This record gives sequence, C-alpha cells and structure tokens, in this order.
Amino acid sequence: MNQYSMTSSQRNFLFGAMGIGVICMILTWMIDDELHTRFWSNLLLNSTFFTLISVMALFFMAASITAYAGWYVTFKRIIEAFSLFMVVGLVLLIIIGLGNYFHWHHLYHWTDTADVATDQVLLGKSSFLNANWYMFGTIIFGGAWAYLAYKIRDLSVSEDDDGADVDRTFKYHNKIRVYAAILLPLIGFASAAMIWQWIMSVDAHWYSTMFAWYTSASAFVAMLALAILLVIFLKSRGYFELVNENHIHDLGKYLFAFSIFWTYLWFSQFMLIWYANIGEETIYFKERYNNYATLFFANIAINFLVPFIILMRNDTKRKVGTMTFVAIVVLLGHWLDFFLMIKPGTLITANHAMGVETEAVQGFVSGFTVPSLLDLGTFIGFLGLFVYVSLWIMSKAALTPKNDPYLEESVHHHVV
Amino acid sequence: MANIKEREVIYGLYNDEEDLLRAVKSARQDHMEIYDVFTPFPVHGLDPAMGLEESRLHIAGFIFGTIGALTAFLGMTWVFVKDWPNIFGGKPYWSVPAFIPITFEMTVLFAAVGMTVSFYIINGQGPGVVNKTLDDRITDDKFCIAFDKADVDADRAEAFFKNTGAVEINSKTI
Repeated sequence: MNQYSMTSSQRNFLFGAMGIGVICMILTWMIDDELHTRFWSNLLLNSTFFTLISVMALFFMAASITAYAGWYVTFKRIIEAFSLFMVVGLVLLIIIGLGNYFHWHHLYHWTDTADVATDQVLLGKSSFLNANWYMFGTIIFGGAWAYLAYKIRDLSVSEDDDGADVDRTFKYHNKIRVYAAILLPLIGFASAAMIWQWIMSVDAHWYSTMFAWYTSASAFVAMLALAILLVIFLKSRGYFELVNENHIHDLGKYLFAFSIFWTYLWFSQFMLIWYANIGEETIYFKERYNNYATLFFANIAINFLVPFIILMRNDTKRKVGTMTFVAIVVLLGHWLDFFLMIKPGTLITANHAMGVETEAVQGFVSGFTVPSLLDLGTFIGFLGLFVYVSLWIMSKAALTPKNDPYLEESVHHHVV
Repeated sequence: MANIKEREVIYGLYNDEEDLLRAVKSARQDHMEIYDVFTPFPVHGLDPAMGLEESRLHIAGFIFGTIGALTAFLGMTWVFVKDWPNIFGGKPYWSVPAFIPITFEMTVLFAAVGMTVSFYIINGQGPGVVNKTLDDRITDDKFCIAFDKADVDADRAEAFFKNTGAVEINSKTI
C-alpha cells in the first residue's frame, strides 16, 4: 500500500485524544488560580514542545539533504509531515504572543511593565525581551520555517507527480537542496533566539548560553522517538513495505546518539553552573533541586540511562519491541524535561504577580511539582493533534517518493 | 609466528565483488569449507554470506570501558576523599560532578586502547609481525577466496573456481 488513508477508527481515536485534551484544558481553566497559570503554562509547554519537534524535523531533513544522505528517503514523508506541523505551532505561539500584549496570561515576568521599570536586570534585557520582539520573532522566523517546510514538501510531491525525470536533471531535487541550504543557518541561529524567547525567558532573570542547544537536543530526541513510533505503527498496518529493520536500526542509532548528546549538554550546563557557583545562575538548579527533586532526577534517569542501557546493543535497535518501548519512554521523558524547564519559572512569576511570597511556596503544588492527570491529558490532546495533522498531511501524497534520486540508495540500505 | 602450522592453500582470484559474493554463497551451499576470503575493501554482506558470527570485540570494549570508569571514579574518590582531602572552591571533598568528565575520558581511553590491543592479540598482529600474503594484488584490485587443501579436495576447488568465474587459480603454502 503506497497511499495512506486514515481509517475511521484511527480518526476517532485521534479525535478522542484531542477531546481528552480539550476537556482537560477546560477543567484546568476552571480549577485554576486567578491568573490561570496552570492552563497557560500547559499551553506554552505543549505548544513549544510540539513546535520545536517540527522545527527539529525540518532541521533533520535540511541536514540530511545537504549532506547527501539517502537512507531516510523511504520514510521521508513522515519527516516532511512533522515539519509541516510548524503551521499549527505558529498559530498556537501567536496566541501566546498576543497574550503578551493583552495580558491574557502571566507567563513571562518581562511583560510586567511596572516591574521591568524598577528592575535593573529586566530593564537591561528589555530590548530583546519584549512583546514586540516576541511577536516579530515568532512570525518572521516561525513563518520562514513554515514557508520553507511547505516549499520543500511541495517540491518533493511535485517531483513525484511530474512523471519520471527522464533526462535526469534533478531539477526538483536541486531546488530542494537550495531551500535546505537556506534552512540550515536559519534554523541553527534563529531557533536559539526563539528558544530564548519562548522558553528560557520564563526565568526572566536567568540565562544560560547552553540552554538553546540543550532544548534543541531535547526536541530532536522527541522528534526521533515520534518518527520511530509512527514508522513502526504504519509498517504494522501494511504501509512502508520498503522500510526494513536497517532503517529502524539507523533511527535507533540516532536516538541513542542524540540521547547521549542531550545528556552531554544537560551535564555541561549543570556542571558549569555548579562549579562557578554564582548566585544568579545557581538559582535555576536550586529551585529545581529543592522543589522538583523527583522530576530533576527522573529526567536524567529516563532520558539518559534508559536509552543508553537498552540501545547500547546492536540487536535491540533492530527489534520493534525494544525500539517502541524506548521511543515511548524517551518521548515522555523529554516532555518531562520541557515540563521542568517551563513550570517552575511560571509558578514563581505567577506567585510574584499575585503577591505570594516565593519563600512561602514549598511542598506540593498541583500541576507543577509533578504532572498530574490534567497535565497528562493536555499532553495527550496535543499529541493527538500532532499525529492527526501529520497523518492528514501524509494522506495527501504517496508514501514512497518514487522519483527521489536517493530512493534506490535507501531501498538497498544495509547497516550490518 | 613459527608455531602456526603451514597450510597448503588453493585460491582463486575474482575481478568483481559481486562475483565474489555469488561464489561465497554457492561455496556455502555446496558445503565447501572456506579457509578465508580476502578483499581490498570491506564488501557489504560478506560476513553473513560467509556465515561469520558477530564479533565479540564490543563486549570486550564494554568491559574495558567499565573498568576505566571504575578506575577513574574510585581512584579520584580515594585521592580526594581519603588520601589527600582538599577543598576546591568551597565544594565538598566528594564532588561527583567534577569527577564525571574525567570518568568519561578514562572510559573512552580504556575502551579504545583495550579494544585495539585485544584486536591485535586475537589476530596475532603487532609490531614486528610479518604477514604472509597469498597475493599482493588482493590489496589492490583482486578479490580472493582461499580453500585449505586439507578441507577441500584440490580438483573440486578448481572446478568450483572455474564455474564461479575466477580469473586466476593458484596454489601456495603459507
């Protein structure tokens, strides 16, 4: 089967997941504090998580095209579909960006003009951390990513529809290569700026030069985990006849390598801050170590030890069972990583805005200390949306790109 | 090395790796025991075609790496906690994060050196060892299958080489 079409049970399942998400978000809104911190922080968490997954899918594709990589071509429609979720992600982040202007939410301390005026640190950062820049960056960079993702996907589909490229000029592929080359610096530099805006500025006083890399690595691993799960699922439904255990093996290597890369960045950030021992930097880890200890340690155990130990051997990367298990664990693990990046800062900001002393906030805070059912339900809703959008895009074109110049290489891909 | 017994070897040379792969497969089907196969570059799919088991070198690598990690970590622990405790930058004696980079490096060092040395020992290689080669051209552009005459009858081997498209058939004692 080369043409994917969504069955009604799959559609119902995914709409069910989205329904759970909507119900959980409504319930969260109802039981929330007066600023609706939990609702908005969940929205920010899931929007950035899935948007960055699609950005990293785009980056994976751009890097592979530029590096003449051919092995991933048999399942490249999945990566293309992921990268097009950027359009949805853009809408979600524009909503949050508009919230900065109209004070719908209180996620970012730097939107509080009264505080910024008296705060030397925030005043110094205000030329970058302001609502205009947030909106500008989101629309310009996010829009550029979405546009180029659309262009690459469009050319890739035209390459198939336009009949075989008889004179082998590779005119579509050459155009794709140009767009991929434009994308690489555009993602490499601009994603850092957007991660600072979207996520790091939640802790408005704090900064780390490792943060953008670390977040990107997290999203990259999550993207790989989702791609692996979707490849395995669609293969079990009879699609992707050309994808075999060699492709799964290489995806597994990617997952293994980037889990270690993530750990390397996590540790580098932690160790430098721990070693330098400067108060305004250590506050980030002090807060997480004292009030979020469960997640803090679970984060490393899940995202480093599980893939490291399970995927170290050759044969575990070639088996569907172990790969599915690791992919699910790691996907949840990196969502928890994002949870840990966003939640503590938003809680402090909200408490400050509501006049609660930060020192008085200790112990368990529902929806912040650990993700509870409502937060997980919101995550399931967004996951359903992401998978639905991806599958919907994939149903619009043949799954095997029959005129891609690297298809043969991918079909004959052997790793052992 | 003098203690390795000499072999009477009959070998055929091929011009192409596809011919070689087909020949190796048919030799396996005919239950002819191959002494060894020589190629100028790694040929994909040759190991499974020859029925070779997966190398166990990576298990040795894991063990060496574990030894390296423990050596570094326990060594630093002993030095900085017990033998010569010093306070650096207000950190506790047993400051684990500071030990991690060195532990990582020692793991890599032990695994790499250990695997290299193991590889050389297993293959009887090392400084001063002179390798006997069947034919100089197998390091250039020829692909070679060799049978030990003790295992495979010379006439049968010759017929096999002719059938599978070998361009040259030779015998040699190595």
